[in-house]
Amino acid sequence: MMNPINVLIVDDEELARCLIREYLRAHPDIVIVGEAEHGLDAVKQINALNPDLIFLDIQMPKLTGLEVLELTGRQAGVIFTTAYDQYALKAFDLHAIDYLLKPFSQTRFDEALAQARKSIGQPVNPQASAIQQLLSAPGKLLDRILIRDRTQVHVIPVDKMEYVEAQDDYISIVSDAKSYLKTQSLSELEAQLDPKKFVRVHRSYLINIERLKSIERSTKDSHVAIMRSGKQIPISRTGYERIRQIM
Amino acid sequence: MIKPIVSSMRKLMWYLMAWLLAGVVVVALLVTMANISWGAGLGFAIPVSLIYGFVAASAFYVCRSLPFEKRQFLLTLVIFGGASLLSGLMWLLLCYAWNYLAQAIRHSFLYGADTDSNLTVNLIVITQPMSVMLFVAGCGFYLLSILVHDVLIALDNMRLADRRAAESRVQARDAELQVLRTQINPHFLFNSLNSISALTSIDPIAARTMTLELAQFFRQTLALSEKEQIPLADEITLCKHFLAIEKIRFGKKLQSDIQVSDTAQAALIPPMLLQPCIENAIKHGIRDLTEGGTITLRAMTRGDWLHVTIENPIDINPSTTVGNGLGLKNSQQRLRSLYGEKARISWTRNTEFFIVEIAIPLSIVNL
Repeated sequence: MMNPINVLIVDDEELARCLIREYLRAHPDIVIVGEAEHGLDAVKQINALNPDLIFLDIQMPKLTGLEVLELTGRQAGVIFTTAYDQYALKAFDLHAIDYLLKPFSQTRFDEALAQARKSIGQPVNPQASAIQQLLSAPGKLLDRILIRDRTQVHVIPVDKMEYVEAQDDYISIVSDAKSYLKTQSLSELEAQLDPKKFVRVHRSYLINIERLKSIERSTKDSHVAIMRSGKQIPISRTGYERIRQIM
Repeated sequence: MIKPIVSSMRKLMWYLMAWLLAGVVVVALLVTMANISWGAGLGFAIPVSLIYGFVAASAFYVCRSLPFEKRQFLLTLVIFGGASLLSGLMWLLLCYAWNYLAQAIRHSFLYGADTDSNLTVNLIVITQPMSVMLFVAGCGFYLLSILVHDVLIALDNMRLADRRAAESRVQARDAELQVLRTQINPHFLFNSLNSISALTSIDPIAARTMTLELAQFFRQTLALSEKEQIPLADEITLCKHFLAIEKIRFGKKLQSDIQVSDTAQAALIPPMLLQPCIENAIKHGIRDLTEGGTITLRAMTRGDWLHVTIENPIDINPSTTVGNGLGLKNSQQRLRSLYGEKARISWTRNTEFFIVEIAIPLSIVNL
C-alpha cells in the first residue's frame, strides 16, 4: 500500500487551480489537502499542513512564490508554475529547478510530477538544496523585507526602514517607530540593499540616508548621526568615510 | 558636419581645376588688354591663381561665420566686401611677388648665376591699369568663391536636415513599436490561454467566449495602434474586451463601472491611453484585494476639455505588485509629445484608492 501524497495548490486564479485539480485526477494516490489564493494564505497553510508537494505560482498578490519559500524555509517538494517571468525562469534554469510554463499539457504536468515524486520523502540537505541556492543567489536588490513573527508576517518596504541595528544573532529593523527582529546578519542584509540608500555607519548600524537629518561631531574625532526621528546613532571612523563618499 | 573643400582630395582637385580656369581667364584678359604673349601670360597668371585658390578657400570660414539665418544686408556687405577687398589686395601683392621671383628664377636658370643680368626686368610689365584690373579680378574671384561656398554649405545643410528628418522618423516608428510591444503583455496572454485551457473541460462555452474576446482584443489593439487618434468610444470598447477577459480570469473579484457622457463618446484621444490604466488598476489594485473591488471609469466633456478619471481600490499594505509608475510616465510623455503642455495626466494614491486623472483638449471626430 502506497502512502498518499499530500498536495497544496497555490495560485490566485481559480481557473488555474481548477486545471491542476483536473490534471491531478489521473493520479489517485494524490490527496489535495488545501488551496491558497495568495502568498500569505500559502505561508499559513504550508506551516499548518506541511504538504508533501506544493504547486506554487510565482506572481501572486501579497507575497510572491519565492517569498513564500523564504518565509517557510521550505527546501524541496515544490513545483513552480508561471505564465511568464523572464528573471525567475533564468534563475530556475541556472539552478536546475523544474517549473511548469502556463499553459501546460497533461503530459508535461505528469513529467514534472514524476520528477517531484522521486524526491518526496528523501532527506534534504539544506546547504545543497537547489531552492536554498536560488533564494540566496545574489539577485536584484530587495525592495521590501519580510519578517515572520509567530503567526504574523510583516512586510516592510525598504524605503520605510529608518535604521537596522545588529544584536547578537539577529538584527532589529526600525520602521515607523516600531522595531522588528529578524534572524539574519547585518552584512547579509546590507548586501541585499541599495548601497546608495543604506550606509553601514557603524559595525552594528545600517542607516537609511533618506531618514538622516544631520551629522554632528560628538567628541574630537567621532561623529554621531541624528535621524529625523531624533534617534542618535554612533558613526565609526570608517563609517564616516563611507557616508562622506556618498553625500 | 560640414567640412571645407580642402578636406577631401576629390573636391580639392575640382577646386584647383576651377582656379586653373580662372588663371586662363586672367591670361586672356592680359593678352587682349596689354598685348602680352600667351606664354608669358600663362607663366605669370597660372601659379598665382593656384596659390590664390588656397587663400580664397578661407571663404568657407567667412560664410560659416555668418549663418544664413543671421544675415543682415549691411553686416553681410561689410564682412563679405571687406574680406574680398583684403583678398584682392593679397592677390595683387602675390602677382607682383611672383612676377619678380619668376623672372629671377628664369634668369638664373637660363644664363647661370654669373651673368650680370638685369634682375629688375620682370616676367611682364605691370602697368597701372593692369594693377587695377588684377585687383578687381582678385576681389571678383573671392566674391565668386564666397558664392560657391555659400551654395555648397546650403546644399550640405539641406542634406543634413534631410538625414535628421529621416532619423527622427525612424525613432518615432521605434517608439510606436515599443508602445505596441508593451501593450501585448505576455503575462496577460499566457495566463488567458491557461484559463482557456482550464475552461475547455469545465465550461466549453465560456472557453469559446474567452477565445473570441481575446481575438477581438488583439485585433483591435493592432488596428487602433496604427492610428494617431481615435474616438474615445473605440478605446472604451477595447477596454471592455479587456475587462471581459480579466473577469473570466479573476471571477467575481473584478467588477467594473464605466460611464461615458454622450458628448465624450466622439472625443478624440491617442489610442491605447486608457487600456494600460485599466490593466494597472487590476494588476496593482484589484488583484491584491482578497475581496476584490470595482474599477470606476468616468469620461465627460467640460468646456474645451475632455476629462477622464479612472479609480480603483488598493490594498492598505502595499506589496511588490505596487508599480514603479513607469507606465503612467510613458503615457505622460506621449501626451506631452502630442499636445505639448496642453494635456495633463496626474495620479494620486490615498490609503484606499488609486486615482488617475486625464485632461485633453477637446476635439470631436467629424462623422
